[in-house]
Amino acid sequence: MKKSYWIFATILLALLADRVGGLLLAKITKDSQFRYSKLYNGEEAADILFVGNSRGLSFYQPYAEEKTGLKTANLSYNGMPISLAVPLVMDYLDRHQPPKVLVMDISLIDSVRMDNKLGYQFNHYSPYSERLSDLLKNKFTNDYFVGMVSHLYRYNSEVFQRTFYYWKKSDKDWLLDRVISLGLVQDVDNQKVLRFNYDKKMVAELAEMVKYAQQKGTRVELVVNPYFPAFIPKIGNLDTLTTDLNAATGLTVKNFENAVTQTDAFGDYQHVNKVGAKLYLDKLMEAGVLETKTGMIQQ
Amino acid sequence: MIFNSLTFLAFIAFFLPLYFALKGNARLWLSLIASYIFYGWWDWRFLSLIAISTLVDYWLGKSMQAEHDDKKRYKLLITSMVLNLGFLAFFKYFNFFTDSFISVLENFGMHPSVFSLKIILPVGISFYTFQSMSYTIDVYRKDLTAEPNLLKFATFVAFWPQLVAGPIVRASDFLPQFQKDHDFDWDRITTGTGRVLWGFFKKCVVADSLAPFVEQCFAEPNGFASINLLIAVIFYSFQIYCDFSGYSDIAIGFARILGFDFNENFKTPYFSQNFSEFWSRWHISLSSWLRDYLYIPLGGNRNGKFATYKNNMLTMLLGGLWHGANWTFVFWGFLHGIYLIAQRQLGKPFGSVMNGLRFPAWLKTGVNIALTYFFTCLAWIFFRAANFGVATDVIKGIAGLQGFSMVNVMNKFWVIKGFLLIGILLTIEVTNLRMHWNNLAFQRPVFRVVAYATLLLLLAFFGSFGSGAFIYFQF
Repeated sequence: MKKSYWIFATILLALLADRVGGLLLAKITKDSQFRYSKLYNGEEAADILFVGNSRGLSFYQPYAEEKTGLKTANLSYNGMPISLAVPLVMDYLDRHQPPKVLVMDISLIDSVRMDNKLGYQFNHYSPYSERLSDLLKNKFTNDYFVGMVSHLYRYNSEVFQRTFYYWKKSDKDWLLDRVISLGLVQDVDNQKVLRFNYDKKMVAELAEMVKYAQQKGTRVELVVNPYFPAFIPKIGNLDTLTTDLNAATGLTVKNFENAVTQTDAFGDYQHVNKVGAKLYLDKLMEAGVLETKTGMIQQ
Repeated sequence: MIFNSLTFLAFIAFFLPLYFALKGNARLWLSLIASYIFYGWWDWRFLSLIAISTLVDYWLGKSMQAEHDDKKRYKLLITSMVLNLGFLAFFKYFNFFTDSFISVLENFGMHPSVFSLKIILPVGISFYTFQSMSYTIDVYRKDLTAEPNLLKFATFVAFWPQLVAGPIVRASDFLPQFQKDHDFDWDRITTGTGRVLWGFFKKCVVADSLAPFVEQCFAEPNGFASINLLIAVIFYSFQIYCDFSGYSDIAIGFARILGFDFNENFKTPYFSQNFSEFWSRWHISLSSWLRDYLYIPLGGNRNGKFATYKNNMLTMLLGGLWHGANWTFVFWGFLHGIYLIAQRQLGKPFGSVMNGLRFPAWLKTGVNIALTYFFTCLAWIFFRAANFGVATDVIKGIAGLQGFSMVNVMNKFWVIKGFLLIGILLTIEVTNLRMHWNNLAFQRPVFRVVAYATLLLLLAFFGSFGSGAFIYFQF
């Protein structure tokens, strides 16, 4: 029996270190300047709120703030599914003064390109949000309960790595800043058709989020962010998607898919880089989606 | 069933107490049934293949033992080869050869209507087939006495720890270990658990963390800057190493807990200074199988330079084909054949040049390791690529140096995590050469507790779970 003591000692030590490590990482999460830490600290008050997946990072905040003179917040994340965007936006609205406008890129309604497992990567924020906690319990039950046993497991994600990375610095300039490769430019004709795969439930979730924001007094703008010009013919059912969203929300989706035409303004077919982001934000201002502090549309 | 699943956790929780509670035939029955459940969890229909191989090879082994006429013994051996390789050929290579045949005819303007079958590749067929074949060959060579007990033989063929992804255990090493019951042994539990944890660290922490970056780059290499492709190749070299050697570690660890000893399958292969050494440190159970049952029977290096080169090449080509029914695997084998031949041809002149440069010994060792690693990675590109087009795109993309800048790194968080984990792995493996961590863990309980707890914490903090099977399952 004496020989088995090491097993108990190992488990005890692992649990102890896990709890101490968990406390340390919880402190980092709370102190971080990352967008979701600030969201749950109630420190991300803004006039303009952006939402999207990786394409939502095109809402380049430093330039948007410079041009509008308004404060911005961006809840976008790579592969963000609508099921995760909804609790994040609702939590934001509950914890802050409602922003003047919420701008959302609708391409996050797409089950092919969204990261279905992204929700569980927000495990380290679940103690701060009942909505996130419910999402985890329902959709990622195993991960949720493993996270109860091992607190370190809650921090086992890329989202936490970013939380750590932005511990002491702002994430406002987060953008995929590269120039599309020559190989991709030449290969565009060989690309498969991009179709948005979505269902009624996803549309209803988005509509619910829009309604929630509107009830708080926030104007909502649904937009289609730019695509690489030669790639646009490869987009299959954008019209159907916009029609469905128009009907469900009562809003009109504003299509900026061809707002940027320069080749070197893109990182790949679906993402503008910093140059493209600036051009795109100019277009959003021209179209009145974004306004300046005085409410005047900047020319 | 895969090791990195909750199902396996439940499996082992039932199996281990029962295993040690039972003795003799009851334990053998338990092991056999558990092994069939372990395999059948993936697809129970293919259990019949294992069962047929087992029954036929058992009967052929006994018949060979009883037979004194060499010609008849030879016929019995051929029967075993035909059956085992027949299963392998049908399930693994049928569509590959028919597709290749059609492609060749189409190049000559012919369009034959050849039927093709939707064949599912049974998991681990290459492993258990080679394991079973080693038995009949050894009995034929009279290196091994035929096993009289069908239950023991069936358990040997289907033993769950190494059934689906090796190591390929030889009958001469493994069957004698079934001759006695292995008592519960704390020393074995201790060292076996350490080995299992280390295997899980390699698989779930290192290999599965590197996999997403590799997958994206190899799916569409044209879309990525050269720096990403280079990182993807380096990551893949460690992904496949950790995936496969991780499985071997888990298998060896569980076997040790159950009272069995398997031979080592990997010995820090990326520290090899040449390709002969690489093949004595990478997938040792396969390379030694091919050496003993193919290379040496072909004549090995006994019949002059040309015959040696031919035997090297043939062995490597078949080694490549063993991995998968795709010409990229064959080409991978071909490259390794070329490396072995080039090493024989150029090894001495290269050594003279290095001596002439009067490099210090450590630098010479470093250059040799770096060169061997570089060419190994070059071959890995073909091994990983879905086809030759992808492989050449990756090579062209890296060589083109377009976008070779940190700014263009696809996802720096994956890259930082990947290199950090590779760093941890290499630090432990390099220091293990001197420190022998598992022995230390065995001797000093305090060290063991700290080491095992650290591995558990690393698994919790860095591990990727539910990302799927081991790469070598497909082989």
